[in-house]
Amino acid sequence: MDTLDLARLQFIGTTGLHWLFVIFSLGLAPLVAVVHTRAVLARDPGRRAGLMRMTRFWGQLYVINYAIGIVTGLIVEFQLGLSWSGLSKFAGNVIGAPLALEALVAFFAESTFLGMWIFGWGRLRPAVHAGLIWLVTLTAYASAYWILVVNGFMQVPTGLEVRDGVAYLADFGALLTNSNVILALIHVTSAALVAGGLFLAGVSAYHLRRGTADREPFLGSLRMGVAVAAVAVIPTAVVGNMQFPILQEMQPMKVALFTHAPTDALQARMRAAYGPGDYVPPYWAEIGEEVMLYLGYTLGMGAICALLMVFRETLVRRRAVAAVAALAAGSSMGEFAGGLVFGAPGPHRVAVYVACTVLAAALLVFRPRRRRALALLLVVAIPLPFVASLAGWVMREVGRQPWLVYGHLKVEDGLSPVGWGMMLASTVTFIAVLAGLAVADWVLITVFARRGPDGAHLGAVATAPEPEPEPVKLPL
Amino acid sequence: MNLAVLWLALLGFLLAGYFVLGGADQGVQMLSSAARDERARTGLLACLGPFFFGNEVWLVGAVAVLIGAFPFLEGSLLPGLYPLFVALVAGLVLGKAAVQLRGRATGRWSRRVWDGCVAAGGAISAVGWGLVVGVLLAGVPMRDGRTFTLGWPMLLNPFVLSCGLAFGAVFAAHGLMFAWMRVPERIPVRPAPVLAVATAAVALAVVLGAGTGAVRPVNPAPVWALTGVTALALGAAWWAVRAGRAGRAFAATGVVAALPVPLLGVGNHPYVLLATEGPGMTVAEGAADEASLGILTAFGVVVLPLVLACQVWSWWAFRGRVDRGTPTYL
Repeated sequence: MDTLDLARLQFIGTTGLHWLFVIFSLGLAPLVAVVHTRAVLARDPGRRAGLMRMTRFWGQLYVINYAIGIVTGLIVEFQLGLSWSGLSKFAGNVIGAPLALEALVAFFAESTFLGMWIFGWGRLRPAVHAGLIWLVTLTAYASAYWILVVNGFMQVPTGLEVRDGVAYLADFGALLTNSNVILALIHVTSAALVAGGLFLAGVSAYHLRRGTADREPFLGSLRMGVAVAAVAVIPTAVVGNMQFPILQEMQPMKVALFTHAPTDALQARMRAAYGPGDYVPPYWAEIGEEVMLYLGYTLGMGAICALLMVFRETLVRRRAVAAVAALAAGSSMGEFAGGLVFGAPGPHRVAVYVACTVLAAALLVFRPRRRRALALLLVVAIPLPFVASLAGWVMREVGRQPWLVYGHLKVEDGLSPVGWGMMLASTVTFIAVLAGLAVADWVLITVFARRGPDGAHLGAVATAPEPEPEPVKLPL
Repeated sequence: MNLAVLWLALLGFLLAGYFVLGGADQGVQMLSSAARDERARTGLLACLGPFFFGNEVWLVGAVAVLIGAFPFLEGSLLPGLYPLFVALVAGLVLGKAAVQLRGRATGRWSRRVWDGCVAAGGAISAVGWGLVVGVLLAGVPMRDGRTFTLGWPMLLNPFVLSCGLAFGAVFAAHGLMFAWMRVPERIPVRPAPVLAVATAAVALAVVLGAGTGAVRPVNPAPVWALTGVTALALGAAWWAVRAGRAGRAFAATGVVAALPVPLLGVGNHPYVLLATEGPGMTVAEGAADEASLGILTAFGVVVLPLVLACQVWSWWAFRGRVDRGTPTYL
């Protein structure tokens, strides 16, 4: 491995880990905010207390995730300058402003609000307190937008003017409204909501299977999670597909790789335009694409089936509603099933749609047995959206190789003047530290998710002597 | 005054703010290793309260301004001080994560690991910042006006080492004053001895900087003036400790923690990177072009006051000592 490979390994290791925490944050924050708001608005004291308990439970899991999310973000921020100073030397004038705004608007404000939310129980007025978690959500989404402005620019450079090998900002509006940015934002945030929804559903299903004392609140969370996931799979798929025509125009090589089209002509064209070199991305970008698509289709089918089963009793109360639900669910599932069977939705569309509508109707007509086994499926599905989104990230970023800024700056030219030994040391340090913290964090999330609402530390007040902590199987 | 100098001042403001706020956190982290037992440690760390979350992001803001307004300085500075920043960031990351997660751990063994990370993370960050400031004050061996690489002779320079020591000691004293203010009955050591160590460490750095000729600032007069202010602030801290006034002592050590930043900025102006031989990198050479700075300024005028207002709101809402009704989380 040379210095360049090490720097790339370091980037994929640290940023890939950061990505997983970000997806969880974006997916869970709005759901926590909704639960908290419902708790504040509830009139009935019993219901209010139940919802508050759930807010603390889900909020606790969110906060544990955030602890590592923010530090991985810090490493990524420093890494841009440490390992890839060629990027700021070429494009600093253009991407500096959005990066700065990302950190100031989002990172800075988000962390301040989250600190106040964590310590605000019983200290701030309930409406202000619930408002804070909405501010956390808002700033998290603003952060996603600004960082995608930078990433979108690197994928499809717009609004720049190159003079003497340095990029200058020519059109800030074009930078902000880059179609690559807007589509990616909708795709990624919808995918995050699928992940957040399925997490809520999976953890609730786990507690319902075990026969929890908090049956009603967990049923509510299960319904909410399944509904959010089943609705969010649709924009995830639709907007995901909308990106392909843009890629065909802007990054034809990526599309050629995924469609197994010959790359020789494109390679020759790129060589003529940008000089000698290899312009075919590594083959494993395609593995990322396939993992993302097949997992995505499977999760899409699963989420919609789960929706029909969870809301079955409500839906079958009126025949007209049931019929509409079967048709709507059948047609969305038809797209996913077509993708699963044929690689892309398209062939034999009518037959696939009819089969899926029949399946949807069957799920509504017959009350499924083995509900405990089905609930286990929801638990098992928790990590899958994260794997899918990571695979999508690999597809997007590896598929644009060898470019750092497409058509302007190659990855090898962005590398900092850092020696091999130094790069090795930093790669080992960062990946070891982050991987250790990430594993510890996931174990803690699992432990706290299994404990249920009674085990949440969030919102505890030091009035009584501290109760003995209950023993935990996984000591970390 | 042009936009680049305005943004340099802002960068200095954020970095100085970080040294004052994040420095207190790192000081408390270091002191937590002196706590007798688990209860004492939890009680001490409770002083960090909600501020911990907002404090550390002043660094994120400073790096953001570095990337946004000074991409060319960033492109030279971070790779140049590579090993130093890698250690610093690793220390920060360990400490920040450990402060938030140690309370979640239940096993005795895992608590011990997290507690070690809390203290080590604080110490590595504090000393690391001192070394960075020391190297920048002493100047770096620039090649072709753009790049440099940190070598062992630079790092092992007695003055640079003394800066690392001084930052560690000052942050520890500053953190102690913060804890004294928020959880007075929980502080693990008395303020006076820690302040004595900090004073001695600062004095050593000043003597080595001036005496060995390691520091040759472009503008000596303001450097001496700011050194004088540091001495006055340390004196004020002594007076406050004698008088038992925790808040004033915290303010005084805060001034000491913040002063290296203006010292660096004003002392070497117009250079943002001082070279040991030949010309360094000036403010204009390190900054983004006027168009980008203009856009950044337009957003900054709106965003920065808002962000600062949020922090001030947070300080106000959670002011005062930690008492029995305060939510505990850390």
